[in-house]
Amino acid sequence: MANEPHDAPNPPSRWRAFLAKSREFAPVWTLLALILFFSVYSDSFLTLENASNILNQVALLAIMGTGITFVLLTAQIDLSVSYMATFAGVVAAYYTAAHLPQPWPIVAALAAAAALGWINGVGTSYLGIPSFMVTLAMSLIASGLSLYLTRGRILFDLPPLSEMLGSGRIFGVKWLVIVAALTLLIGHLVLRYTRFGRYVYMTGANPKAAELAGVNTKGVITAVMVIGALTAGLAGVVGIGRLGSATPTAFDGMLIDAIGAVVLGGTSLFGGVGGIPQTIVGLLILGVLRNGLDQVSVDIYMKTLITGIILLAALVFNILFAGRKEA
Amino acid sequence: METTAPLLELHHVAKRFGGIQALSGIDFDVRPGEVHALVGENGAGKSTMMKILAGVIPDYEGEMVWRGRPLRLRNPRHALDLGIAMIHQELSVMPELTVAENIFLGRQPLTGGVVDWRRMFREAEAILTELGFGHVNVREPLERYPLGVHQLAEIARALTSGAELIIMDEPTSALSPMETRHLLELTRNLARAGKAVVYISHFLEEVTWVADRVTVLRDGRKIATLEAGTTDKQELVRLMLGKEAAFFEESYVGGRAAADRHQNEAALVVEGLTRPRRFEDVSFTLRAGEILGLYGLIGSGHFELGEAIYGLQRPSSGRILLAGRPLGAGPRRAIDRGVAYVPPSRRTGLFLKKPIYQNVSLPWLARISGFVPRAPREIRVTDEVIRRVGVRPPDPEKEVVFLSGGNQQKVAIARWLVEPPKVFVVSEPTRGMDVGAKEEVMKILRELSQAGVGVLLISSEPETVLAASERILVMAKGRIVREFAGETVTKEQLLHAAAGELAAAR
Repeated sequence: MANEPHDAPNPPSRWRAFLAKSREFAPVWTLLALILFFSVYSDSFLTLENASNILNQVALLAIMGTGITFVLLTAQIDLSVSYMATFAGVVAAYYTAAHLPQPWPIVAALAAAAALGWINGVGTSYLGIPSFMVTLAMSLIASGLSLYLTRGRILFDLPPLSEMLGSGRIFGVKWLVIVAALTLLIGHLVLRYTRFGRYVYMTGANPKAAELAGVNTKGVITAVMVIGALTAGLAGVVGIGRLGSATPTAFDGMLIDAIGAVVLGGTSLFGGVGGIPQTIVGLLILGVLRNGLDQVSVDIYMKTLITGIILLAALVFNILFAGRKEA
Repeated sequence: METTAPLLELHHVAKRFGGIQALSGIDFDVRPGEVHALVGENGAGKSTMMKILAGVIPDYEGEMVWRGRPLRLRNPRHALDLGIAMIHQELSVMPELTVAENIFLGRQPLTGGVVDWRRMFREAEAILTELGFGHVNVREPLERYPLGVHQLAEIARALTSGAELIIMDEPTSALSPMETRHLLELTRNLARAGKAVVYISHFLEEVTWVADRVTVLRDGRKIATLEAGTTDKQELVRLMLGKEAAFFEESYVGGRAAADRHQNEAALVVEGLTRPRRFEDVSFTLRAGEILGLYGLIGSGHFELGEAIYGLQRPSSGRILLAGRPLGAGPRRAIDRGVAYVPPSRRTGLFLKKPIYQNVSLPWLARISGFVPRAPREIRVTDEVIRRVGVRPPDPEKEVVFLSGGNQQKVAIARWLVEPPKVFVVSEPTRGMDVGAKEEVMKILRELSQAGVGVLLISSEPETVLAASERILVMAKGRIVREFAGETVTKEQLLHAAAGELAAAR
């Protein structure tokens, strides 16, 4: 290659290293730019109170996003997470209304979500169905189960624990934020500091090579699908407490935001690259954007459009740097 | 035949890739009604020449003449439009579609913009009958038929698109002996019908049977063009290899007291191992401390055999015994029983964007650092093994992608030195390496064998197996056709056994 005359001279390695770093930090720059922008154009944006608002707003997404990070790291996808969250919330409320002693309704909700996640995992890894398809089908199944259990009604009997974690406070901090932070922390520790975490990264980076090195890649993929479902279930159980009720479509709309936040942070859809720190940045980008647009005077009917455009721009920004790195 | 004007000629064709002269001064022609075979070792320039003929490489030196007129092909489409069709080594068929659809892929007969199925079936049947395969039901999906019919569909596709010159690249490498015979007869029929065929194959037996003329390439040059009727395999092999003695041209196998070897316990016993279309009834014993070479031309099933021993492919019958006990399925079990494996392509086995130490430590994570991976320990372990194999630079934290190909390959080998295996299956350990690096890898394999490791050295390069083996098995079309032990083996003999002794295998 280097012999070809039209080949541009290789950039010095320092420049290359800088580009590589820029790629890693591109989402951080995006976040800082957004914060700067909204701070200038709104007086109410850069306040402690608003910061805590943003955290509250992204807390549920963060819980769900933790599991999605695992799934994306193995180069799989889970399109059923938001429906699983709804389903888990419904199960918790349903068994509470049926007077099952606490905390069994919550245990049942998490177990039900995990079971569906296990089906996702087995379908993907052992049966070889693309995770895109399995989880698409699963989203209908979860959604269908929610409708069937509630018969379309709203359930108001919630587990007390859900109510506390969803809307209670401790020392002035919302439990919801604490739960989210703990979930992210545990996710981070597992990914960074366990053998399983290493297997997740290596399976995503090159599944064939991981298999050749003796990694049970099918088991790893099954496990991450279960983790994805479990965190979705947790989001649902806590989320009903925040909403004050369980409806058969409560969290369905979170899917795009949850996957979007993870990808925005820089976790690759192609596996092997990313992690919880990246997910946190992605969550904050999304949170700041949503919150900031409320603070500045924008046509309310333009907000979704603007959010979409900014997200697209951020993704293109990420990809451009990724492209540079490959070259 | 001598009176027919050539359909296509090459005059002084040459091609460079960077610093490598892939072809130089090639004169070649093929006439209508003729099968002109092209033979040569891997890397002799066959595929480059074929790509020029098929329009894949448009920028070459020299001249191409088509039906007496100078011509420069712009791209494969251009070649196809003129009537030059290539039958690929890797088939380009759609197994799920019907036989007829595959024949008319992209050119289905239309009536008013709609596919005219009846006409398509009728025409497909007609062409297959003409080729002597009237029994094939063109309405059936292609996947219901064996590979021979897939090849047939490609040839039929070429013919229906009006091809006058058909280039066949290793058309029989994946075929059973029966299918091979059909294909060879079909090829003769094509010539009889006035088509010109360029036939590229490693199998010299087939070449001397099917071809009218044979052109031998070596190191990018044309060595000779011979009438097939006046030559034989011996002469072809001699011309392909040339006289000049190269590195590892020949070697005495069984050099290290072969008698000792027999007293060593069997590290690995393979009994009647069969996987249809890959390998058949393969049996051999690998003794502890022995380097056993397994040589075969590409497509002989030797690489697949290596995968099967490592548990990546399930044999349909036969047994693999390790230290007397059967080996279960899956790499993890193989690793735990002391089997190590290096795949023939390094991209398959390595994580290019991960640091060297993560590549090396992955099979051993549990043993190196238990539940919590500890990078410093992994780095220490890695540092030792990559220094032993001579990875340059010996920096465990460097990403593999930044290493040269040879050094990447050394990383793939180094991984298995963390805990010395009992059986080491290495496929093409030195492909694409320079002589110095090759010798380093061979030295590592010899050291391992002296420490009691049974090494199965699998390769399609004669030099590689000759460099270190104490015994050599030769595979052809999925079977072991020859064993060399306790004698001096030359490259020529190896190639001969792999390419020539097919008659015995049939």
